[in-house]
Amino acid sequence: MLVGQLISAGVELTLNQLLQLDPDCKPRLKKLAGKQLQVTINELPWTLLFTFSEQIDVSALQQNQQQLPADAAADCHITLGLSTLSELSDSSKISQLIQQGKLDLDGDIDVAQGFSNLMKELDIDWEEQLSKYTGDVVAHQTFSSVKALFNTAQQEVEKLADQLSAHLTKPEAVAVSEIEVADFCDQVNHLRSASDRLEARIDHLIASQQDDQ
Amino acid sequence: MSVSEHHVASDTSHEQAPESSEKTHFGFQQVDKNAKASMVAEVFQSVAAKYDIMNDVMSMGIHRLWKRFTIDCSGARAGHKVLDLAGGTGDLTAKFSRIVGDTGEVVLADINDAMLRVGRDKLRDKGIVSNVKYVQANAEALPFPDNSFDIITIAFGLRNVTDKDKALASMYRVLKPGGRLLVLEFSKPTSEVLNKVYDAYSFHLLPKIGELVANDGDSYKYLAESIRMHPEQDVLKDMMQEAGFEQVTYHNLTGGIVALHRGFKF
Repeated sequence: MLVGQLISAGVELTLNQLLQLDPDCKPRLKKLAGKQLQVTINELPWTLLFTFSEQIDVSALQQNQQQLPADAAADCHITLGLSTLSELSDSSKISQLIQQGKLDLDGDIDVAQGFSNLMKELDIDWEEQLSKYTGDVVAHQTFSSVKALFNTAQQEVEKLADQLSAHLTKPEAVAVSEIEVADFCDQVNHLRSASDRLEARIDHLIASQQDDQ
Repeated sequence: MSVSEHHVASDTSHEQAPESSEKTHFGFQQVDKNAKASMVAEVFQSVAAKYDIMNDVMSMGIHRLWKRFTIDCSGARAGHKVLDLAGGTGDLTAKFSRIVGDTGEVVLADINDAMLRVGRDKLRDKGIVSNVKYVQANAEALPFPDNSFDIITIAFGLRNVTDKDKALASMYRVLKPGGRLLVLEFSKPTSEVLNKVYDAYSFHLLPKIGELVANDGDSYKYLAESIRMHPEQDVLKDMMQEAGFEQVTYHNLTGGIVALHRGFKF
């Protein structure tokens, strides 16, 4: 029974820690102060209720629990399935999701958008955060090393992909190039058209022979 | 008296109404009814400074989840007026304060001034000042007008009240029609195995932890005893109904070690 409370406590702690790392988010959070956003995920037994003040408080309401109208009086209520969650990152798709019945939105959409913007626009200087524990020099060096490592890894992956592609297409030709695939598809289309025409002519000849007899 | 006999005593305490006589229980002792409030006050005077840390140690942090569950069942929202009775060091008040916002109000009430002082200092240190009031009040005679609050909570406080029926009636009076009372309190474990483990923990380990952390084993011995003397789930439900509350339900938490009772005034 307390699993919901454990999860809501974890979500609350994470959100508020992230907000604390970006002091510039306070005006955006202030705009939401006094509002409540309720999120129901069909597959979960709880509804999460986000209450905004100078921080975010998260409650887990039992979906099967007896609720009074006052319990469901959030300013905005979103109901969706787990599979729809990933599609929410693209805000242009929201209308489409509502039309498809994958997302149900009841109440003030500004609250949902405000929360989405609050989290999306978080700008956390992780190097600055690390420097509080390690000092500026170590933090800078660590982040420079990580960035360099990331860039090198990215370059190596791209190089490997190019080499693999070249190896597969030339000279042993284990695989074919993109142009060859397109050319092959064209040839297949021509052959299909020619065989359709031939089939039509044969049908026509058989029909005329039967008429003569 | 053995531990199991104490459970029987608690089971029948309401029907026999021992609190209506001149004597009442203070843990397993029978004491003068007029003396209980001051004896309880002494206990909390003694534990106030270490109350929060002891709660975390004793419950292994689970008391935070029990309190979250209480708030989640409260239906609190912006503009509500909440009474956090026996609110002690203000755990529930802090969260309620943020939920009800500037248009609402939370009253943190406790009979014990030491607990109230600790709670007030803690909340002020957290920057919670604008919508919280502090009132030293006896739950049996709440100093508020009728129909004042949307929500009343009493977390781990009712068992220390001398006359529980009187306290429930007082809460009913100050609750607004449509409002709800939430009683979070230690109760009786639903499984016999858990009951035995819990007894062993409460009567042997808990006073030692109290001695070690708060240098006050006696107060925690009282805590364990007072839990056993508190009415079990169904008895408390009946008491709430007799006080006038409707749609009274309870949820057992952590196998019934704690129960949350909820009742409405219509």
